[in-house]
Amino acid sequence: MSTGEKKRVINRVKAMYPLRAKVDESYLRSQEAIKAGKPTVWAMLNFCYGDPILKAMDIEVVYPENYGAALAAAGVARGYLDRADAEGFPTHLCGYSRANFGYAARLMELGGEPPPEAPMGGMPKPLFLLSSVAVCDARYKWFQALGRYLDVPVWTLEAPLPGIREFQLEGCYEEMVKLSVSHLRDFVTFVEKAVGRKMDWDRLDEIVNLMMEINRVSHEVNELRKAKPCPMHSRDFWSAMPPALFLLGDLKESLQLYKNLYDEVAERVENGISAIPEEKYRLVFAELPPWHSLDLFDRLAERGWNFVIESFGYHPPPPVDLSHVKDPLERIARYSLQRMVANYRDALQKNVVAGADVYIYLKYVSEWKCDGAFLHPLVSCRSASTHLPHLANILMERLKVPSLIVEGDIVDLRLFNPQDALQRTEPFEEAMEHYRRVRRELGFDW
Amino acid sequence: MAEGVHLGDLFFAGIDIGSTMTKAVIINAEGNIAAAIKGPTGAEHRHLANDVMLKALDGAGLKLEDVACIIATGYGRFNVPFADEHITELSCHAKGVCHLFPGARTVVDIGGQDAKCLKVREGRLIDFAMNDKCAAGTGRFLELTAQSLGIKVEDLAALSEKATSPVEISNMCTIFAQQEVVMHLSQGKRIEDIIAGLHRALAERVAALARRLGVEPEVVLTGGVAKNAGMVLAMGQSLDCELLVPEEPLLTGALGAALLARERTIRLLAEGKPLERKPRRLEKATFYS
Amino acid sequence: MAAKGLSRAKEVCSQRPAVAKGATARGKKVIGYPCVYVPLELLAALDIVPYRLYGEMREPVTEADRVLPASFCPIMRSCLDCALKGRHDFLDGVITIHSSDPQEKTARIWQSYTTLPYFHFVDMPGTTRPEAVDYFASQLKGLVTTLESLSGKKLSADNITKAINAYNHQRSLVQSLFQLTRPSPPLLTGTEIVQVIKAVMSLPVDEGNQLLTEVIEEAKARKQKSEAQRARLLLWGSTTDDAEVMAVLESNANVVFLEDCGGYRPYRGKVSTAGDALTALARHYLTEITCARTFIQNVAAPTKKDYHKDLHARYGYLKSVITDWKVDGVVLLLVRYCDPFAFEVPAVKDYFASLGVPATYIEYDYTEGSLAPMRTRVEAFLETIG
Repeated sequence: MSTGEKKRVINRVKAMYPLRAKVDESYLRSQEAIKAGKPTVWAMLNFCYGDPILKAMDIEVVYPENYGAALAAAGVARGYLDRADAEGFPTHLCGYSRANFGYAARLMELGGEPPPEAPMGGMPKPLFLLSSVAVCDARYKWFQALGRYLDVPVWTLEAPLPGIREFQLEGCYEEMVKLSVSHLRDFVTFVEKAVGRKMDWDRLDEIVNLMMEINRVSHEVNELRKAKPCPMHSRDFWSAMPPALFLLGDLKESLQLYKNLYDEVAERVENGISAIPEEKYRLVFAELPPWHSLDLFDRLAERGWNFVIESFGYHPPPPVDLSHVKDPLERIARYSLQRMVANYRDALQKNVVAGADVYIYLKYVSEWKCDGAFLHPLVSCRSASTHLPHLANILMERLKVPSLIVEGDIVDLRLFNPQDALQRTEPFEEAMEHYRRVRRELGFDW
Repeated sequence: MAEGVHLGDLFFAGIDIGSTMTKAVIINAEGNIAAAIKGPTGAEHRHLANDVMLKALDGAGLKLEDVACIIATGYGRFNVPFADEHITELSCHAKGVCHLFPGARTVVDIGGQDAKCLKVREGRLIDFAMNDKCAAGTGRFLELTAQSLGIKVEDLAALSEKATSPVEISNMCTIFAQQEVVMHLSQGKRIEDIIAGLHRALAERVAALARRLGVEPEVVLTGGVAKNAGMVLAMGQSLDCELLVPEEPLLTGALGAALLARERTIRLLAEGKPLERKPRRLEKATFYS
Repeated sequence: MAAKGLSRAKEVCSQRPAVAKGATARGKKVIGYPCVYVPLELLAALDIVPYRLYGEMREPVTEADRVLPASFCPIMRSCLDCALKGRHDFLDGVITIHSSDPQEKTARIWQSYTTLPYFHFVDMPGTTRPEAVDYFASQLKGLVTTLESLSGKKLSADNITKAINAYNHQRSLVQSLFQLTRPSPPLLTGTEIVQVIKAVMSLPVDEGNQLLTEVIEEAKARKQKSEAQRARLLLWGSTTDDAEVMAVLESNANVVFLEDCGGYRPYRGKVSTAGDALTALARHYLTEITCARTFIQNVAAPTKKDYHKDLHARYGYLKSVITDWKVDGVVLLLVRYCDPFAFEVPAVKDYFASLGVPATYIEYDYTEGSLAPMRTRVEAFLETIG
């Protein structure tokens, strides 16, 4: 449920809109291409590891995770969840996967035709499934379980993730690169067989370069958000991120749009323009936003809450110079590993061993100067939630920054109660103010 | 029991100790009910089993020794020292329902604290699905929400009958559903429509459980909630089929247990085996018995 | 007289910390591990004593609430809870491994909230492809480095070969142990097997092998009772370590085969002694342990996939178990929030259905309160197959 009010408070960056529009544009283009017989793949978000290869091979990609969110937002997930239940899938499983099982069962019941009731035209029967072990177990077991309905090949992308201390052992990183490159090479062979065409290596090269450049610009935009007041709200980050995260549409176009975004945000910084009318509090958000209730942030903006940084999992990797690496597969491998391991050394130095997804928030809070953390655990998405209790503890312990914990779910949207969140704002503001004083006394600079 | 035992002289008993209600049924050799008693289980079910049994015996004009075999079922089935055997309430319900409705293939049982769906074939349980963890799919859901509305559970059916446009209760959790009810009330929705909505919500939860097994007619609804005509209607809508409801939806478990007691006895007699029974006394169960 | 065989197993199980402390007193290092993917050969080669870590069903979780949400694998949560309460403080360290999300996430919290003298997290790939095996071998190399520092010893071709041989012997002993459940009625109960394996997992390999040998002899010498036929069950799940759970399953049936990590699963096959030891270990652990967390597929690079062929490739090793152990029914027993196995429930049920074996899925929340509902479901299942 939303808060009901429609008034827009956040000063949205204009350059965000064309980036956001790319989502619908590329979806429509994708639908047309699929109708014209182009091969389609169902993929997990794979953090620029498998996507560049699919793009170079001119394959249309649909993301069941995103479709799950669409089903939930359209209020039609219930029927598919019930179907998954009837199929025998235990009820604690990831809500997106269950909605997808219900969908897949219906799809095959209809002989491979998308169900008429499915929003946005549904998802077509895929040529193959591309999953990834990154982030959580569900993401590859889900696609394996789809074999009950789809009878198409599954490729599972590897995603090495050593411990922060263990990463320092000799040769660890190079072994991760070796695994990732060798694995990608086999994946390319698999895709070539699936579509009956050879990889265009020059095209891949170009795509990789553009991918890195787009993400570099996106990274720079986020660096600009360190300014006081913050020129760009989290809502704009979330709206603008899909072209970078999913390599949507024409990458040269995307690059230009991100450059425009950068220019506009840089101008705001120069002129001291804030993303909200009066920035009283700066907040970090973790982890997955409540897509269906984003107007909550406008209500919070009315109270002076500016969300300045967010969602580590969606953020571009820190830039790295890979111009000396000739092999595009190796560039992809090193680049995608960056997302996780770029901060490992710093984390170790600061003795934060609880994973890249915890350390990064300490960095966010201290560099973006946050007064509070808004933590959003999701009942059926454990990987986006298990680090949050520890995160709340460590933010308080190390940086004297309080956290507000507001529960929700990815498909059972009624579990999220924005009214409840709004009721807790006043006491939380008191907490943020109190800890500002505490930090000052302890010598912190915000 | 002496030799030359006549089946025709024998009686058989089933006692079903549920989390809310304890039921006892005594049948004769033809399978006709000689006595049927029900009472609240309470916290002391260990001690109450014998009271209920005594009442049933009195009702049938029998002594304990006249009963050839006693089977205990239900959540408290291990606390019946005078029982010859214990069998799960799932099998007993299956047996009881099929006795009353020989064409039954699916049984949906909604109790005070749990819900069970049974797949049956020729009187036998062949598959099952249970919910005994989440209140949202049990009688408790109605009880709690009725309570918060200041309405008696017995009055829910009559009220829901007058519904014109049932509200959508979307929350899967009982606690949140109660909040939703309050919201609907504050928005001026009619109490009748809210109750019909609650019935629907519960029916959907239970239907989801049933669909794990595949729902085949004839479908029989049992358990305390089956006495609520509004729920029978909602359940039929959710399962998209006609529902059969026994006259005494609470007694099917105990009846089934008594029938299984009879079956067991017949089997033993046919095999020429003695009807071995522990020496029985109707005394309170203690921790050491 | 020192206890032997089954009574020794019982003794060890009821006094595991004391047994471990005894090893410490004799100058040995004792390292805890919560998962059978940790190659114990590496510990044995460096004369380190293994100590299998479990949750504790009867211990209400309190400390873990501060650091982990409630919707989380209750086994790892309980295990961490015990760690935070200092129950494992007698250990010299802990090795965790990236077998499942809960273990990976718990490992990091474990490391952050306790002060263990030694802690090592081993990363594991998700597939069994050749490059994955190589990567896993490199991770094991890292583990060796830190274990060598801990033990003050060096891994040599000699000590690792000896350790591999000793554990291969253990594997074949456990395989022999399970041969003793093939007769009707079985010579050993599932409860006894779980207890023996629980003991073995926290003993030095030679002592464990000695114990297994004694138990096998003891069981073989048992007189075959002619008792009423009880249903013969196969238990499929992640792990079973609790005697009360086994008691529920075996109150009216015999668990003749345990396809889980408290039973047969860790003891399948054997590690090759040819070639590089770490690669051999990596290959064995990754490909032989039939845990749902590893992505196994029927063909190396499929471009066409057939569901039923895939099922057979994934579960076909159970076909001979069903026939050889004369299994009447299968219980799929999982804790709530176990994702890797839960995703497989419909598929594994399909597989057993294709073999004509009835199977039931039972979920529990790893608390004492879950035993009564579990019992009802087990009994009802037995009533349907009886």
